[in-house]
Amino acid sequence: MKAAFLHYGKLLLSSFILFIAVITVLFFLLEIAPGDPVQALLGDSPVSDEFRAQIVASFGLDKSVWERYFIYLGNTLTGNLGLSFGSSMTVAELIMSRIGNTLALALPAFVISTAGGIFLGAIAARTRSKALDGAISGTSVAFFSLPNFWLGLILIMIFSIWLGWLPTQGKSPYGQDGIALQYLILPVITMATTELAYKARIMRSSMIEALGQDFIDTARSKGLSRDRVMWRHALPNALLPMITVSGYSLGFALAGSVVVERVFGWPGMGLLLYDAVQRSNNQVVLGVVIVITISILIINFLTDVVYGLVDPRVRAKFARSSRSAS
Amino acid sequence: MTVDNTSVGSGGTRVGDPGLGGSNSIDAIREDDILDAPPTGAVPTAPRGRKVDSVWKLYFRKPGTIAFLIVLAVVAIASFIGPYFAGNPVATVNPTLLPPSFEFPMGTDQLGRDYLPRVLLGGQVSLLVGFTVALLCMTLGLIIGGLAGFYGGLADAFLVKVAEFFQVLPGIVLALVAAALFGANIWVIVIILSVTMWPAVARIVRAEALRISQLGYVESARAAGFHSTRILWSDVIPNAMPPVIVATTMTVGRAILIESALAFLGIGDAEQPSWGALLNSAQSYMATGWWLALFPGLCIFLVVLAINMLGDSLNDSLNPSIGKVK
Repeated sequence: MKAAFLHYGKLLLSSFILFIAVITVLFFLLEIAPGDPVQALLGDSPVSDEFRAQIVASFGLDKSVWERYFIYLGNTLTGNLGLSFGSSMTVAELIMSRIGNTLALALPAFVISTAGGIFLGAIAARTRSKALDGAISGTSVAFFSLPNFWLGLILIMIFSIWLGWLPTQGKSPYGQDGIALQYLILPVITMATTELAYKARIMRSSMIEALGQDFIDTARSKGLSRDRVMWRHALPNALLPMITVSGYSLGFALAGSVVVERVFGWPGMGLLLYDAVQRSNNQVVLGVVIVITISILIINFLTDVVYGLVDPRVRAKFARSSRSAS
Repeated sequence: MTVDNTSVGSGGTRVGDPGLGGSNSIDAIREDDILDAPPTGAVPTAPRGRKVDSVWKLYFRKPGTIAFLIVLAVVAIASFIGPYFAGNPVATVNPTLLPPSFEFPMGTDQLGRDYLPRVLLGGQVSLLVGFTVALLCMTLGLIIGGLAGFYGGLADAFLVKVAEFFQVLPGIVLALVAAALFGANIWVIVIILSVTMWPAVARIVRAEALRISQLGYVESARAAGFHSTRILWSDVIPNAMPPVIVATTMTVGRAILIESALAFLGIGDAEQPSWGALLNSAQSYMATGWWLALFPGLCIFLVVLAINMLGDSLNDSLNPSIGKVK
């Protein structure tokens, strides 16, 4: 148990260091970016030097780079992401109002793509029919090669414009709050498809590798049926790499949501990032990026924890080292 | 920061399908290496020259290989030479939004410009970015991954840390930040994609270098007194090339997908729109000009599919064992 705590403690520490590294890089990128934020705030109208100095001081811009770096670091760590330019909300409030909408896309897409990818990949690896394997593998390479924003455009064209079955933009009818199901369908499909194809590819090779192991032959020669060996012996082993792959890909899905949200005008964190980039609203850009970073770090950490709980080899390693320690 | 002991690249990028970095049965790719290889008394593998032949023969005999090479060649030739013959891409002299016809095979756009030469010109950007990024990634990956796998130590630690960093700050997000702060042009995008994507290649080089440096012929080269730098560059790296070529091929496809996603978000060169940028403007005309969204997306899809298929079948030719055995 002690070994496990030590291991995950180290993992948490390295996540934290990575986080600091990301903030540091972002801060210095902002620092070397062209443009004068004070001038941008004041606009073109002439102002007195005292007023300008007052503005500079009120934003702490008269301090040295290092002082400002540590202030920024401290603010970020305490959840203060600054004020949004041209909005009455703080950046943190702005992001919190959007993050739920992004999760409403990312989580269903995650569940669909993981379940579907595991199922199709396992079938493709197991089947004796070359045609079925070829069909699944071929389709997954094709979808894996598809730019997902283009898939979204095509889906809108077919289902919204030609057939008129589903809405094109937004998350609910005008004037209504919440998320309406028919608005959710196309973006979730768009987000899930490439993920599913990717996971099916990984699952197929992972399953083929598992089926090639000696213990499969042992189980078969014990007289167990092909199906039992497949689902009880090969599948659990093949699923281990899938934990890592799908966990890590969830973080990337959050980062990639900006494209899908742009296609469907979905008011999530990604669209917030897009709008902020278009308007060079730097505080919001950095805020969203920091939140994405934190999410990826948390997701990756949880992935590692789940992996450690599930893989008996990792459990055994912890048990061994704690026995030898005591 | 991971517990995974799989061969799946830890999710940072999607190049490393399981098995990519695994054992492959061939050891050389350039026949002239045999001449300056050290005495091969302890080489554990079969004579290398013949095997090299058989892999490339196997590769080119696959039915898809030639077809996909032709697809790539046709798109490349059309993109780089076609614009000289296909008409004027900027003249706004035609009726607007004409559907595809004999006169305008891809129709005309919202300003009455012939769409075919515009799509061809867009291909230049996408292909240039894809191949430049992949070459840069391969170069960086060979140098840093080779040093990391062969010597371990500082290079190894550096590789691990950088890979972790860009897993948390993915290329598309970093490119968005850069676009907001600096106004990204195409070379900024090339640099950002290369900087974020090389660890995937380096990781594969590292695994191969680690494996090869344990092999008999490296040991005999050491025993023969060759300098370690020489062993690394003339024995280890050339023999690590096959899976590296697979990973580099996949990087081309990934880079094209990310570049087009960024261009779709309006980040890129406004002077010469790439396929993604064409899709961006096509978004406003989906009800009236379906061809504007269809053709650029189809081009991205075909090119990336061809690249992925070529990479896949090269991988299969290198690892016949990954094919189904049971």
